[in-house]
Amino acid sequence: MSTSIYTRSVWTRVVLYFVLAIFLVFFLFPIIWLIISSVKTHYQTLVIPPKLIFKPTAAAYRKIITGGMLRSFKNSIMISFIDIVLALLLSIPAAYSLARFKSKFNENIGFWFLTVRMAPAFGVIVPMYIVIRYLKLLDTTFAVNIAHLLINLPFGIWLLKGYFEELPIEIEESALIDGANRLQTLIRIVLPTSLPMIISVAILTFMFSWNEFLFAFVLTSNKGVTVPVLVASLAGTMTFDWPLMCAVSIGAMIPAFIFVFVVQRYIVRGLTLGALK
Amino acid sequence: MKEQTKLLLPSLAVVAPIVAFPTVFLFYMSLHQWILFIQEIKFIWLENFYNIITSQEFLQSFGITAIFVGASTFFTLLFGLALALILNEDLKGKGVFRTLFTLPAIIPPVVAGFAWKFLLNSEVGFIGGYILPHLGYEGSILGNPQLALLAVIMADVWSRMPLMFLILLAGLQSIPPDLYEAAEIDGANYWKALRYITLPSMRSAIIIALIIRFIDAFNLLETIFVMTSGGPGIATQTFPLLGWKIGFQYYNLGEAAALAIIMLIMTILVSQALIRRMRT
Repeated sequence: MSTSIYTRSVWTRVVLYFVLAIFLVFFLFPIIWLIISSVKTHYQTLVIPPKLIFKPTAAAYRKIITGGMLRSFKNSIMISFIDIVLALLLSIPAAYSLARFKSKFNENIGFWFLTVRMAPAFGVIVPMYIVIRYLKLLDTTFAVNIAHLLINLPFGIWLLKGYFEELPIEIEESALIDGANRLQTLIRIVLPTSLPMIISVAILTFMFSWNEFLFAFVLTSNKGVTVPVLVASLAGTMTFDWPLMCAVSIGAMIPAFIFVFVVQRYIVRGLTLGALK
Repeated sequence: MKEQTKLLLPSLAVVAPIVAFPTVFLFYMSLHQWILFIQEIKFIWLENFYNIITSQEFLQSFGITAIFVGASTFFTLLFGLALALILNEDLKGKGVFRTLFTLPAIIPPVVAGFAWKFLLNSEVGFIGGYILPHLGYEGSILGNPQLALLAVIMADVWSRMPLMFLILLAGLQSIPPDLYEAAEIDGANYWKALRYITLPSMRSAIIIALIIRFIDAFNLLETIFVMTSGGPGIATQTFPLLGWKIGFQYYNLGEAAALAIIMLIMTILVSQALIRRMRT
Protein backbone atom coordinates (compact mmCIF):
# COMPACT_ATOMS: atom_id res chain seq x y z
CA MET A 1 0.00 0.00 0.00
CA SER A 2 1.37 3.37 -0.91
CA THR A 3 0.40 6.64 0.66
CA SER A 4 1.88 8.57 -2.22
CA ILE A 5 -0.61 10.15 -4.57
CA TYR A 6 2.05 11.75 -6.70
CA THR A 7 2.57 10.24 -10.12
CA ARG A 8 6.21 9.93 -11.07
CA SER A 9 7.90 10.76 -14.32
CA VAL A 10 10.07 8.13 -15.95
CA TRP A 11 13.20 10.05 -14.98
CA THR A 12 12.25 10.20 -11.33
CA ARG A 13 11.76 6.44 -11.38
CA VAL A 14 15.15 5.93 -12.99
CA VAL A 15 16.80 8.03 -10.29
CA LEU A 16 14.95 6.15 -7.53
CA TYR A 17 15.97 2.76 -8.95
CA PHE A 18 19.53 4.00 -9.23
CA VAL A 19 19.59 4.98 -5.55
CA LEU A 20 18.06 1.61 -4.65
CA ALA A 21 20.73 -0.15 -6.70
CA ILE A 22 23.49 1.63 -4.77
CA PHE A 23 21.95 0.61 -1.46
CA LEU A 24 21.52 -2.93 -2.76
CA VAL A 25 25.21 -3.22 -3.64
CA PHE A 26 26.19 -1.75 -0.27
CA PHE A 27 23.97 -4.21 1.61
CA LEU A 28 24.57 -7.35 -0.38
CA PHE A 29 28.17 -7.13 -1.51
CA PRO A 30 29.75 -8.05 1.87
CA ILE A 31 27.50 -11.11 2.11
CA ILE A 32 28.11 -12.18 -1.49
CA TRP A 33 31.84 -11.72 -1.02
CA LEU A 34 31.78 -14.02 2.03
CA ILE A 35 29.93 -16.66 0.02
CA ILE A 36 32.40 -16.44 -2.87
CA SER A 37 35.44 -16.53 -0.59
CA SER A 38 34.11 -19.50 1.35
CA VAL A 39 34.42 -21.75 -1.72
CA LYS A 40 37.93 -20.61 -2.64
CA THR A 41 41.16 -22.28 -1.61
CA HIS A 42 43.34 -20.51 0.91
CA TYR A 43 45.75 -19.47 -1.84
CA GLN A 44 42.95 -18.09 -4.05
CA THR A 45 41.75 -15.74 -1.29
CA LEU A 46 45.23 -14.19 -1.11
CA VAL A 47 45.42 -13.32 -4.82
CA ILE A 48 45.13 -9.63 -5.69
CA PRO A 49 43.36 -8.69 -7.95
CA PRO A 50 40.71 -11.12 -6.71
CA LYS A 51 39.59 -13.73 -9.22
CA LEU A 52 35.90 -14.07 -9.91
CA ILE A 53 36.24 -17.16 -12.10
CA PHE A 54 37.69 -20.15 -10.34
CA LYS A 55 36.90 -23.77 -9.54
CA PRO A 56 34.84 -23.76 -6.32
CA THR A 57 35.85 -26.12 -3.55
CA ALA A 58 33.99 -27.25 -0.44
CA ALA A 59 37.24 -27.76 1.46
CA ALA A 60 36.48 -25.03 3.99
CA TYR A 61 33.09 -26.55 4.77
CA ARG A 62 34.65 -29.99 5.19
CA LYS A 63 37.13 -28.44 7.60
CA ILE A 64 34.24 -27.29 9.80
CA ILE A 65 33.25 -30.93 10.21
CA THR A 66 36.73 -32.45 10.53
CA GLY A 67 37.97 -29.60 12.74
CA GLY A 68 35.37 -30.38 15.39
CA MET A 69 33.59 -27.05 14.87
CA LEU A 70 30.19 -28.67 14.46
CA ARG A 71 29.96 -28.72 18.22
CA SER A 72 29.48 -24.93 18.30
CA PHE A 73 26.64 -25.26 15.83
CA LYS A 74 25.10 -27.99 17.95
CA ASN A 75 25.45 -25.79 21.06
CA SER A 76 23.91 -22.79 19.32
CA ILE A 77 20.96 -24.81 18.03
CA MET A 78 20.32 -26.33 21.45
CA ILE A 79 20.58 -23.01 23.28
CA SER A 80 18.28 -21.27 20.80
CA PHE A 81 15.54 -23.92 20.88
CA ILE A 82 15.57 -24.41 24.64
CA ASP A 83 15.41 -20.63 24.94
CA ILE A 84 12.33 -20.45 22.70
CA VAL A 85 10.51 -23.05 24.81
CA LEU A 86 11.44 -21.47 28.15
CA ALA A 87 10.80 -17.91 26.97
CA LEU A 88 7.32 -18.77 25.66
CA LEU A 89 6.36 -20.90 28.67
CA LEU A 90 7.29 -18.13 31.07
CA SER A 91 6.44 -15.00 29.12
CA ILE A 92 2.95 -15.92 27.89
CA PRO A 93 1.33 -16.31 31.34
CA ALA A 94 3.30 -13.38 32.73
CA ALA A 95 2.35 -11.10 29.83
CA TYR A 96 -1.28 -12.19 30.02
CA SER A 97 -1.44 -11.50 33.75
CA LEU A 98 0.14 -8.09 33.31
CA ALA A 99 -2.21 -7.23 30.43
CA ARG A 100 -5.41 -8.28 32.19
CA PHE A 101 -4.87 -7.42 35.84
CA LYS A 102 -3.96 -3.78 36.08
CA SER A 103 -2.28 -2.50 39.21
CA LYS A 104 0.40 -0.09 40.35
CA PHE A 105 2.69 -3.08 40.78
CA ASN A 106 2.37 -3.90 37.09
CA GLU A 107 3.50 -0.46 36.03
CA ASN A 108 6.69 -0.76 38.08
CA ILE A 109 7.41 -4.20 36.66
CA GLY A 110 7.30 -2.58 33.23
CA PHE A 111 10.05 -0.23 34.34
CA TRP A 112 12.30 -3.13 35.38
CA PHE A 113 11.80 -4.74 31.99
CA LEU A 114 12.91 -1.56 30.31
CA THR A 115 16.06 -1.17 32.41
CA VAL A 116 17.23 -4.63 31.42
CA ARG A 117 16.70 -3.69 27.77
CA MET A 118 18.59 -0.43 28.21
CA ALA A 119 21.39 -1.65 30.46
CA PRO A 120 24.71 -2.17 28.72
CA ALA A 121 25.24 -5.86 28.03
CA PHE A 122 28.47 -5.97 30.03
CA GLY A 123 26.54 -4.50 32.97
CA VAL A 124 24.24 -7.51 32.85
CA ILE A 125 26.99 -10.03 32.32
CA VAL A 126 29.19 -8.84 35.21
CA PRO A 127 26.69 -9.89 37.94
CA MET A 128 25.69 -12.95 35.86
CA TYR A 129 29.31 -14.07 35.62
CA ILE A 130 29.79 -13.91 39.40
CA VAL A 131 26.72 -16.09 39.99
CA ILE A 132 27.45 -18.61 37.23
CA ARG A 133 31.03 -18.90 38.44
CA TYR A 134 29.84 -19.39 42.03
CA LEU A 135 27.45 -22.13 40.87
CA LYS A 136 30.32 -23.77 38.94
CA LEU A 137 28.30 -23.64 35.72
CA LEU A 138 30.92 -21.86 33.59
CA ASP A 139 31.42 -23.31 30.09
CA THR A 140 28.00 -24.99 29.97
CA THR A 141 25.22 -24.32 27.48
CA PHE A 142 22.91 -24.09 30.47
CA ALA A 143 24.70 -20.94 31.68
CA VAL A 144 24.31 -19.30 28.27
CA ASN A 145 20.63 -20.26 28.23
CA ILE A 146 19.98 -18.51 31.53
CA ALA A 147 21.84 -15.40 30.39
CA HIS A 148 19.88 -15.22 27.13
CA LEU A 149 16.62 -15.73 28.95
CA LEU A 150 17.47 -12.63 30.94
CA ILE A 151 17.13 -10.51 27.80
CA ASN A 152 14.54 -12.56 25.93
CA LEU A 153 12.01 -12.78 28.75
CA PRO A 154 11.55 -9.03 29.29
CA PHE A 155 11.41 -8.48 25.53
CA GLY A 156 8.89 -11.27 24.95
CA ILE A 157 6.72 -10.15 27.84
CA TRP A 158 6.82 -6.59 26.55
CA LEU A 159 5.72 -7.59 23.04
CA LEU A 160 3.03 -10.05 24.17
CA LYS A 161 1.63 -7.74 26.83
CA GLY A 162 1.10 -5.04 24.23
CA TYR A 163 -0.60 -7.53 21.93
CA PHE A 164 -2.84 -9.04 24.62
CA GLU A 165 -4.00 -5.58 25.69
CA GLU A 166 -5.37 -4.96 22.20
CA LEU A 167 -7.43 -8.16 22.10
CA PRO A 168 -11.18 -7.72 22.60
CA ILE A 169 -11.98 -8.73 26.15
CA GLU A 170 -15.63 -9.75 25.55
CA ILE A 171 -14.94 -13.28 24.28
CA GLU A 172 -12.76 -14.03 27.27
CA GLU A 173 -15.45 -12.72 29.60
CA SER A 174 -18.12 -14.91 28.09
CA ALA A 175 -15.80 -17.91 28.43
CA LEU A 176 -15.28 -17.06 32.08
CA ILE A 177 -19.05 -16.81 32.59
CA ASP A 178 -19.43 -20.23 31.00
CA GLY A 179 -17.27 -21.60 33.79
CA ALA A 180 -13.82 -21.75 32.25
CA ASN A 181 -11.00 -20.64 34.54
CA ARG A 182 -8.36 -18.11 33.56
CA LEU A 183 -5.84 -20.70 32.48
CA GLN A 184 -8.36 -22.46 30.23
CA THR A 185 -9.38 -19.10 28.75
CA LEU A 186 -5.74 -18.31 28.06
CA ILE A 187 -5.04 -21.65 26.38
CA ARG A 188 -8.28 -22.07 24.40
CA ILE A 189 -9.18 -18.51 23.45
CA VAL A 190 -6.26 -16.12 23.80
CA LEU A 191 -3.47 -18.33 22.45
CA PRO A 192 -5.09 -19.29 19.10
CA THR A 193 -5.86 -15.65 18.26
CA SER A 194 -2.36 -14.56 19.32
CA LEU A 195 -0.51 -17.13 17.26
CA PRO A 196 1.07 -14.64 14.80
CA MET A 197 2.55 -12.60 17.65
CA ILE A 198 3.72 -15.74 19.46
CA ILE A 199 5.50 -16.86 16.29
CA SER A 200 7.12 -13.42 16.05
CA VAL A 201 8.33 -13.67 19.64
CA ALA A 202 9.65 -17.19 19.04
CA ILE A 203 11.59 -16.08 15.95
CA LEU A 204 13.02 -12.99 17.63
CA THR A 205 14.02 -15.11 20.64
CA PHE A 206 15.76 -17.53 18.31
CA MET A 207 17.53 -14.75 16.41
CA PHE A 208 18.73 -13.13 19.63
CA SER A 209 20.08 -16.39 21.05
CA TRP A 210 21.67 -17.40 17.79
CA ASN A 211 23.34 -14.02 17.22
CA GLU A 212 24.33 -13.15 20.78
CA PHE A 213 28.06 -12.90 21.37
CA LEU A 214 29.14 -11.23 24.62
CA PHE A 215 27.31 -13.43 27.15
CA ALA A 216 28.36 -16.62 25.42
CA PHE A 217 31.93 -15.33 25.09
CA VAL A 218 32.23 -14.51 28.80
CA LEU A 219 30.47 -17.62 30.07
CA THR A 220 32.05 -20.28 27.85
CA SER A 221 35.60 -21.17 26.93
CA ASN A 222 35.67 -24.57 25.30
CA LYS A 223 32.83 -27.08 25.52
CA GLY A 224 29.97 -24.58 25.55
CA VAL A 225 31.22 -22.28 22.77
CA THR A 226 28.51 -20.95 20.43
CA VAL A 227 28.75 -20.02 16.74
CA PRO A 228 29.29 -16.24 17.23
CA VAL A 229 32.06 -16.99 19.73
CA LEU A 230 33.63 -19.32 17.19
CA VAL A 231 33.45 -16.63 14.48
CA ALA A 232 35.02 -14.03 16.77
CA SER A 233 37.79 -16.34 17.95
CA LEU A 234 38.65 -17.37 14.37
CA ALA A 235 38.63 -13.72 13.29
CA GLY A 236 40.93 -12.89 16.18
CA THR A 237 43.59 -15.51 15.46
CA MET A 238 46.67 -14.69 13.45
CA THR A 239 46.51 -17.78 11.24
CA PHE A 240 44.02 -16.12 8.87
CA ASP A 241 42.38 -19.12 7.29
CA TRP A 242 40.10 -16.85 5.25
CA PRO A 243 38.00 -19.53 3.48
CA LEU A 244 37.33 -21.30 6.79
CA MET A 245 36.34 -18.03 8.50
CA CYS A 246 34.02 -17.22 5.60
CA ALA A 247 32.48 -20.69 5.67
CA VAL A 248 31.79 -20.47 9.41
CA SER A 249 30.27 -17.02 8.87
CA ILE A 250 27.99 -18.41 6.16
CA GLY A 251 26.97 -21.17 8.57
CA ALA A 252 26.20 -18.51 11.17
CA MET A 253 23.96 -16.73 8.64
CA ILE A 254 21.87 -19.76 7.61
CA PRO A 255 18.97 -18.98 10.00
CA ALA A 256 18.96 -15.37 8.79
CA PHE A 257 18.78 -16.54 5.16
CA ILE A 258 15.92 -18.90 5.95
CA PHE A 259 13.97 -16.42 8.05
CA VAL A 260 14.28 -13.46 5.74
CA PHE A 261 12.81 -15.38 2.81
CA VAL A 262 10.33 -17.66 4.57
CA VAL A 263 8.95 -15.85 7.59
CA GLN A 264 9.99 -12.26 6.98
CA ARG A 265 6.62 -10.77 7.89
CA TYR A 266 6.85 -12.24 11.40
CA ILE A 267 10.26 -10.71 11.93
CA VAL A 268 9.14 -7.34 10.65
CA ARG A 269 6.04 -7.46 12.83
CA GLY A 270 8.08 -8.31 15.93
CA LEU A 271 10.75 -5.71 15.29
CA THR A 272 8.42 -2.85 14.42
CA LEU A 273 5.60 -3.60 16.86
CA GLY A 274 8.15 -3.78 19.62
CA ALA A 275 9.39 -0.43 18.47
CA LEU A 276 6.11 1.34 17.91
CA LYS A 277 4.42 0.25 21.14
CA MET B 1 -8.86 -12.01 42.84
CA LYS B 2 -7.91 -15.58 43.69
CA GLU B 3 -7.95 -16.55 40.01
CA GLN B 4 -5.61 -13.68 39.21
CA THR B 5 -2.95 -14.57 41.72
CA LYS B 6 -3.04 -18.22 40.68
CA LEU B 7 -1.94 -17.26 37.18
CA LEU B 8 0.21 -14.31 38.10
CA LEU B 9 2.28 -15.70 40.96
CA PRO B 10 4.03 -18.69 39.38
CA SER B 11 5.10 -16.83 36.27
CA LEU B 12 6.18 -13.72 38.15
CA ALA B 13 7.94 -15.78 40.82
CA VAL B 14 10.22 -17.06 38.09
CA VAL B 15 10.38 -13.98 35.91
CA ALA B 16 10.74 -11.15 38.42
CA PRO B 17 13.93 -12.38 40.15
CA ILE B 18 15.56 -13.18 36.80
CA VAL B 19 14.75 -9.72 35.52
CA ALA B 20 15.41 -7.74 38.70
CA PHE B 21 18.46 -9.60 39.95
CA PRO B 22 21.18 -8.30 37.58
CA THR B 23 20.23 -4.66 38.10
CA VAL B 24 20.10 -4.96 41.89
CA PHE B 25 23.31 -6.96 42.10
CA LEU B 26 25.02 -4.53 39.72
CA PHE B 27 24.36 -1.63 42.13
CA TYR B 28 25.66 -3.71 45.01
CA MET B 29 28.85 -4.59 43.15
CA SER B 30 29.52 -1.02 42.07
CA LEU B 31 29.90 0.03 45.73
CA HIS B 32 32.51 -2.62 46.48
CA GLN B 33 36.12 -3.22 45.68
CA TRP B 34 35.43 -6.42 43.80
CA ILE B 35 38.38 -7.89 41.96
CA LEU B 36 38.26 -11.37 40.53
CA PHE B 37 40.74 -13.82 42.11
CA ILE B 38 41.04 -11.59 45.20
CA GLN B 39 38.97 -13.11 47.97
CA GLU B 40 38.34 -10.01 50.04
CA ILE B 41 35.42 -7.85 48.95
CA LYS B 42 35.44 -4.41 50.57
CA PHE B 43 32.65 -1.83 50.79
CA ILE B 44 34.18 1.39 49.49
CA TRP B 45 31.24 3.76 48.96
CA LEU B 46 31.57 5.61 45.66
CA GLU B 47 35.28 5.14 45.15
CA ASN B 48 34.78 3.07 41.97
CA PHE B 49 32.75 5.89 40.46
CA TYR B 50 35.34 8.47 41.48
CA ASN B 51 38.20 6.41 40.07
CA ILE B 52 36.54 5.88 36.75
CA ILE B 53 35.28 9.40 36.15
CA THR B 54 38.66 10.94 36.94
CA SER B 55 40.61 8.51 34.73
CA GLN B 56 42.09 9.74 31.48
CA GLU B 57 40.70 6.80 29.54
CA PHE B 58 37.14 7.57 30.59
CA LEU B 59 37.30 11.04 29.06
CA GLN B 60 38.87 9.76 25.85
CA SER B 61 36.30 6.98 25.60
CA PHE B 62 33.56 9.52 26.19
CA GLY B 63 34.70 11.50 23.15
CA ILE B 64 35.01 8.40 20.98
CA THR B 65 31.60 7.12 22.11
CA ALA B 66 30.04 10.52 21.34
CA ILE B 67 31.47 10.52 17.80
CA PHE B 68 30.54 6.89 17.17
CA VAL B 69 27.00 7.15 18.52
CA GLY B 70 26.39 10.55 16.94
CA ALA B 71 27.64 9.64 13.47
CA SER B 72 26.14 6.18 13.43
CA THR B 73 22.73 7.38 14.63
CA PHE B 74 22.72 10.23 12.14
CA PHE B 75 23.56 8.10 9.11
CA THR B 76 21.36 5.11 9.96
CA LEU B 77 18.43 7.45 10.45
CA LEU B 78 19.08 9.57 7.38
CA PHE B 79 19.62 6.63 5.02
CA GLY B 80 16.85 4.62 6.68
CA LEU B 81 14.43 7.49 6.13
CA ALA B 82 15.52 7.91 2.49
CA LEU B 83 15.03 4.18 1.86
CA ALA B 84 11.65 4.16 3.59
CA LEU B 85 10.46 7.14 1.50
CA ILE B 86 11.65 5.53 -1.73
CA LEU B 87 10.14 2.13 -0.99
CA ASN B 88 6.86 3.75 0.00
CA GLU B 89 6.51 4.85 -3.62
CA ASP B 90 4.69 2.81 -6.20
CA LEU B 91 7.74 1.01 -7.56
CA LYS B 92 7.88 -2.39 -9.20
CA GLY B 93 9.79 -4.99 -7.19
CA LYS B 94 9.73 -3.05 -3.94
CA GLY B 95 8.82 -6.22 -2.04
CA VAL B 96 12.04 -7.86 -3.22
CA PHE B 97 14.10 -4.81 -2.26
CA ARG B 98 12.47 -4.74 1.13
CA THR B 99 13.27 -8.41 1.74
CA LEU B 100 16.89 -8.03 0.67
CA PHE B 101 17.36 -4.84 2.71
CA THR B 102 16.13 -6.62 5.85
CA LEU B 103 18.92 -9.18 5.69
CA PRO B 104 21.80 -7.32 7.43
CA ALA B 105 19.54 -6.55 10.41
CA ILE B 106 19.25 -10.20 11.37
CA ILE B 107 22.69 -11.62 10.63
CA PRO B 108 24.96 -11.99 13.68
CA PRO B 109 26.82 -8.72 14.47
CA VAL B 110 30.08 -10.66 14.79
CA VAL B 111 29.64 -11.76 11.18
CA ALA B 112 28.99 -8.16 10.15
CA GLY B 113 32.21 -7.19 11.93
CA PHE B 114 34.17 -10.00 10.32
CA ALA B 115 32.79 -9.30 6.83
CA TRP B 116 33.98 -5.69 6.97
CA LYS B 117 37.27 -6.62 8.61
CA PHE B 118 37.87 -9.01 5.71
CA LEU B 119 36.82 -6.49 3.03
CA LEU B 120 38.97 -3.72 4.51
CA ASN B 121 42.04 -5.88 5.13
CA SER B 122 44.95 -4.13 3.47
CA GLU B 123 46.50 -7.35 2.11
CA VAL B 124 43.66 -9.60 0.98
CA GLY B 125 40.52 -7.42 1.30
CA PHE B 126 38.51 -6.51 -1.77
CA ILE B 127 38.21 -2.88 -0.68
CA GLY B 128 41.32 -2.39 1.45
CA GLY B 129 43.70 -4.45 -0.71
CA TYR B 130 42.28 -3.95 -4.20
CA ILE B 131 40.01 -0.94 -4.69
CA LEU B 132 41.69 1.56 -2.37
CA PRO B 133 45.25 0.97 -3.67
CA HIS B 134 43.83 1.67 -7.16
CA LEU B 135 42.45 4.95 -5.83
CA GLY B 136 45.85 5.79 -4.39
CA TYR B 137 45.52 4.75 -0.74
CA GLU B 138 47.96 2.00 0.22
CA GLY B 139 47.86 2.02 4.03
CA SER B 140 45.92 -0.12 6.44
CA ILE B 141 42.47 1.22 7.26
CA LEU B 142 41.94 -0.58 10.54
CA GLY B 143 45.48 0.37 11.57
CA ASN B 144 44.83 4.09 11.18
CA PRO B 145 43.12 5.69 14.21
CA GLN B 146 40.77 8.02 12.31
CA LEU B 147 39.97 5.63 9.49
CA ALA B 148 39.40 2.75 11.94
CA LEU B 149 36.74 4.79 13.72
CA LEU B 150 35.16 5.62 10.36
CA ALA B 151 35.26 1.93 9.40
CA VAL B 152 33.45 0.73 12.54
CA ILE B 153 30.85 3.46 12.03
CA MET B 154 30.32 2.24 8.48
CA ALA B 155 30.02 -1.40 9.56
CA ASP B 156 27.47 -0.38 12.19
CA VAL B 157 25.49 1.66 9.66
CA TRP B 158 25.51 -1.39 7.40
CA SER B 159 24.15 -3.74 10.03
CA ARG B 160 21.68 -1.38 11.71
CA MET B 161 20.23 0.82 8.96
CA PRO B 162 17.74 -1.92 7.93
CA LEU B 163 16.05 -1.84 11.33
CA MET B 164 15.64 1.94 11.13
CA PHE B 165 14.26 1.51 7.63
CA LEU B 166 11.65 -1.00 8.82
CA ILE B 167 10.52 1.14 11.76
CA LEU B 168 10.30 4.30 9.65
CA LEU B 169 8.47 2.48 6.85
CA ALA B 170 5.90 1.26 9.37
CA GLY B 171 5.51 4.84 10.58
CA LEU B 172 5.16 6.07 7.02
CA GLN B 173 2.48 3.52 6.17
CA SER B 174 0.36 4.55 9.13
CA ILE B 175 -0.13 8.11 7.83
CA PRO B 176 -3.77 8.45 6.69
CA PRO B 177 -3.90 8.97 2.87
CA ASP B 178 -6.59 11.65 3.08
CA LEU B 179 -4.00 14.07 4.48
CA TYR B 180 -2.29 13.91 1.09
CA GLU B 181 -5.53 14.34 -0.82
CA ALA B 182 -6.10 17.61 1.01
CA ALA B 183 -2.55 18.66 0.17
CA GLU B 184 -3.09 17.87 -3.49
CA ILE B 185 -6.18 20.04 -3.60
CA ASP B 186 -4.13 22.84 -2.06
CA GLY B 187 -1.59 22.33 -4.85
CA ALA B 188 1.34 21.29 -2.63
CA ASN B 189 4.17 19.51 -4.44
CA TYR B 190 6.01 16.42 -3.15
CA TRP B 191 8.65 18.32 -1.18
CA LYS B 192 6.09 20.63 0.41
CA ALA B 193 4.00 17.59 1.38
CA LEU B 194 7.11 15.93 2.79
CA ARG B 195 7.97 18.99 4.83
CA TYR B 196 4.48 19.81 6.12
CA ILE B 197 2.67 16.46 6.21
CA THR B 198 4.97 13.43 6.07
CA LEU B 199 7.70 14.43 8.48
CA PRO B 200 5.42 15.98 11.14
CA SER B 201 3.14 12.91 11.01
CA MET B 202 6.17 10.66 11.50
CA ARG B 203 7.41 12.57 14.51
CA SER B 204 6.82 9.81 17.04
CA ALA B 205 8.09 7.05 14.75
CA ILE B 206 11.28 9.03 14.16
CA ILE B 207 11.80 9.69 17.86
CA ILE B 208 11.20 6.04 18.74
CA ALA B 209 13.68 5.02 16.05
CA LEU B 210 16.12 7.54 17.53
CA ILE B 211 15.74 6.15 21.05
CA ILE B 212 16.20 2.56 19.91
CA ARG B 213 19.17 3.51 17.77
CA PHE B 214 20.80 5.54 20.51
CA ILE B 215 20.52 2.74 23.09
CA ASP B 216 21.73 0.21 20.56
CA ALA B 217 24.75 2.21 19.33
CA PHE B 218 25.68 3.30 22.86
CA ASN B 219 25.82 -0.34 24.00
CA LEU B 220 27.31 -1.85 20.84
CA LEU B 221 30.24 -4.13 21.50
CA GLU B 222 30.59 -7.07 19.15
CA THR B 223 31.09 -5.38 15.78
CA ILE B 224 33.88 -3.18 17.15
CA PHE B 225 35.31 -6.03 19.20
CA VAL B 226 35.72 -8.23 16.13
CA MET B 227 37.00 -5.45 13.84
CA THR B 228 39.50 -3.62 16.05
CA SER B 229 39.08 -4.71 19.71
CA GLY B 230 39.02 -0.98 20.48
CA GLY B 231 42.31 -0.26 18.72
CA PRO B 232 44.57 0.84 17.23
CA GLY B 233 45.61 2.08 20.66
CA ILE B 234 42.27 3.16 22.04
CA ALA B 235 41.03 4.85 18.84
CA THR B 236 37.77 2.87 18.68
CA GLN B 237 37.39 2.14 22.40
CA THR B 238 33.81 3.14 23.12
CA PHE B 239 32.33 2.74 26.61
CA PRO B 240 31.30 -0.91 26.21
CA LEU B 241 34.83 -1.85 25.12
CA LEU B 242 36.31 0.12 28.02
CA GLY B 243 33.94 -1.69 30.38
CA TRP B 244 34.88 -5.01 28.88
CA LYS B 245 38.57 -4.21 29.36
CA ILE B 246 38.16 -3.10 32.98
CA GLY B 247 35.96 -6.05 33.87
CA PHE B 248 37.41 -8.96 31.98
CA GLN B 249 41.02 -8.02 31.31
CA TYR B 250 41.85 -6.10 34.51
CA TYR B 251 39.27 -8.23 36.40
CA ASN B 252 38.11 -5.12 38.26
CA LEU B 253 34.44 -6.09 38.33
CA GLY B 254 33.44 -3.38 40.83
CA GLU B 255 34.72 -0.61 38.58
CA ALA B 256 33.14 -2.22 35.51
CA ALA B 257 29.83 -2.28 37.38
CA ALA B 258 30.26 1.40 38.19
CA LEU B 259 30.83 2.22 34.51
CA ALA B 260 27.74 0.18 33.58
CA ILE B 261 25.66 2.24 36.01
CA ILE B 262 27.08 5.51 34.66
CA MET B 263 26.11 4.32 31.16
CA LEU B 264 22.66 3.31 32.35
CA ILE B 265 22.10 6.76 33.86
CA MET B 266 23.24 8.44 30.62
CA THR B 267 20.91 6.18 28.63
CA ILE B 268 17.94 7.03 30.84
CA LEU B 269 18.67 10.78 30.70
CA VAL B 270 18.94 10.85 26.91
CA SER B 271 15.88 8.64 26.35
CA GLN B 272 13.84 10.72 28.79
CA ALA B 273 14.81 13.90 26.96
CA LEU B 274 13.78 12.31 23.66
CA ILE B 275 10.51 10.96 25.03
CA ARG B 276 9.64 14.41 26.34
CA ARG B 277 10.14 15.82 22.85
CA MET B 278 7.73 13.23 21.53
CA ARG B 279 4.94 14.50 23.77
CA THR B 280 5.28 18.22 23.08
